[in-house]
Amino acid sequence: MTTLKLNNIDKFFGVDSSRVQVLKNINFTAKKGEINLVIGPSGSGKSTFLTIAGGLQTPSDGSVVLEGQSLKTLSNKQRDALRLNKIGFILQSYNLIPYLTVKEQFKLVKKIKKNHNLDDHSLNDLMKRLEISNLENKYPGELSGGQSQRVAIARALYTKPDIILADEPTAALDSERVIEVGKIFQKLAREQNTAVIIVTHDLRLAKFADKVYEIMDGSMNLNNELKKKAG
Amino acid sequence: MFLSLKEIKKEKFRYGLIVTMIVMICYLIFILTSLAMGLSSQNTDAINSWNMKSIVLDKDSNTSLSQSLITKNQKKNINLSSKEALIGQASVVAKKSGLKKESAQFLGLNNKQFIAKDLVLTSGKKVNGPHQIVVDEQFKNDGYNLNDKLKFNSNKTEYTIVGFVKNAKLNIAPVIYGNIAAWQNIKNLNDQFVGSAIVSKDANYDANNQQLKTYSKSVFISKLPGYAAQNSTFIFMIGFLMIISLIVIAVFLYILTIQKLQNYAVLRAQGIPAKTLVNATISQSIILVISGLLIGTILTIFTALLIPNSVPMSFNIPILTSVGIGLIFTSLIGSLIPIKLILNVDPVSVIGG
Ligand SMILES: Nc1ncnc2c1ncn2[C@@H]1O[C@H](COP(=O)(O)OP(=O)(O)OP(=O)(O)O)[C@@H](O)[C@H]1O
Ligand SMILES: [Mg+2]
Repeated sequence: MTTLKLNNIDKFFGVDSSRVQVLKNINFTAKKGEINLVIGPSGSGKSTFLTIAGGLQTPSDGSVVLEGQSLKTLSNKQRDALRLNKIGFILQSYNLIPYLTVKEQFKLVKKIKKNHNLDDHSLNDLMKRLEISNLENKYPGELSGGQSQRVAIARALYTKPDIILADEPTAALDSERVIEVGKIFQKLAREQNTAVIIVTHDLRLAKFADKVYEIMDGSMNLNNELKKKAG
Repeated sequence: MFLSLKEIKKEKFRYGLIVTMIVMICYLIFILTSLAMGLSSQNTDAINSWNMKSIVLDKDSNTSLSQSLITKNQKKNINLSSKEALIGQASVVAKKSGLKKESAQFLGLNNKQFIAKDLVLTSGKKVNGPHQIVVDEQFKNDGYNLNDKLKFNSNKTEYTIVGFVKNAKLNIAPVIYGNIAAWQNIKNLNDQFVGSAIVSKDANYDANNQQLKTYSKSVFISKLPGYAAQNSTFIFMIGFLMIISLIVIAVFLYILTIQKLQNYAVLRAQGIPAKTLVNATISQSIILVISGLLIGTILTIFTALLIPNSVPMSFNIPILTSVGIGLIFTSLIGSLIPIKLILNVDPVSVIGG
């Protein structure tokens, strides 16, 4: 039931003397129906790891295999299609198009991916749970940080992705809403068999995770101690 | 379309400014072109109204109507068919006390030849006698009426306006049509001179005379005093104006696209195909430029309706249309220069980690 596999991933930035290694020989496997949490301090390489996993950037070395297919072998176009149909990305900082209302953010996706999205009823349900139903006609500029984060989560779930890649999805949320988001991810994993990968420095999510990894200076290790600590 | 329209709707002010700029540029180009065309046609309106193909002038006249004379002797051996007509040209200042003096082109005609016969009057009747004249409507606009009597230069003879013609302009001056006898009188010539030139509707007409030479209509027009210089000035002026405005528009659209890259990066991360983004960019440029062109055209039409008659304007639809198409094309180029950036937009570098 492996759905995403990273093999021996290295990532370097810069050249010559300014060359730094941000990811060091990372091996990682995500299974369907499982919530994986990657915890690490700022600058440890979390976002780099997640964007490589989602095919947004290429590793310097190693391979990313998504549902049996190596991302290296895909064209840009195929990678776009993969993200649209299989992956729900929640980015760290910038998720919404400033000139579309909340409702239109979904409409845009629907125009391009016509089928196999949440139906109106389920979308309303999701938005209610995230407490963003009343924001439908607002523009991102009119939302608070936490509100846009919750809209971004709903946007990512709208396409019913097989894999959710979330970068600090709870950074701007209070504890109550962190719990709600954790429950939503849990429900997705259990009921839809979605693979969820969350990178964060927020330990509050650890109790919802099936596996907790720690990333430090570019090296990643399974660390279930962190889960116990949080729970 | 969805993306481009939504963006325009949200950023009304920004896009309003850009459309305003495009409107102003179109308007400027349209009006300048029309003014230049108007002025240029005032050089040649009369010539065009005759439907002539060639003209016979003295070969030593430097292709200038005012320097050419045809003598009675020369004419004797010339065969004039119904397609030929003699004209006698004189530059005159026409005056009537109380009214504005008019610098005009007097053209003496023979009543029985095609120019006089084909003349289309807007009012009055044709010339029938040495003291009658038919004048361009500019005289009417300046207060002259039918049956008014005019004098030319210091000449004492009075000439009566018996009719008006429209668009009779030669070398940016209104034309006064009279007969050959009047022309001889004005030029103080005796009847040894029968005219300045022979105009023919036949492109290959040949007067068969050593001293006379046939010129095509286009050669004749290009040698009208000041005409070529004036036209090349206008062509360069409008050409430079167009190139510069097109670059300005292209630069604006380029900047506009660059500003969108961050949004495009987000869309790429969501898996929206690059094709959708490119379409959004192109359709937006087209929407902006076409609305600018439409508003510019409407403004130009209003200006044309409001502008006084004394300002010559001529709207050459093919030329204005190609200006419009040129605008659309360059704006497309302007917005497509960064297309490589759109296609290769790196979500990570734009959105950050
Ligand atoms: N494009 C790049 N060029 C050079 N260095 C980069 C680039 N992207 C990231 N880095 C460096 O790689 C390291 C890891 O960055 P990354 O964004 O993955 O950290 P992070 O764990 O997500 O941090 P945060 O919690 O602050 O988001 C940082 O030291 C960063 O400066
Ligand atoms: Mg990060």
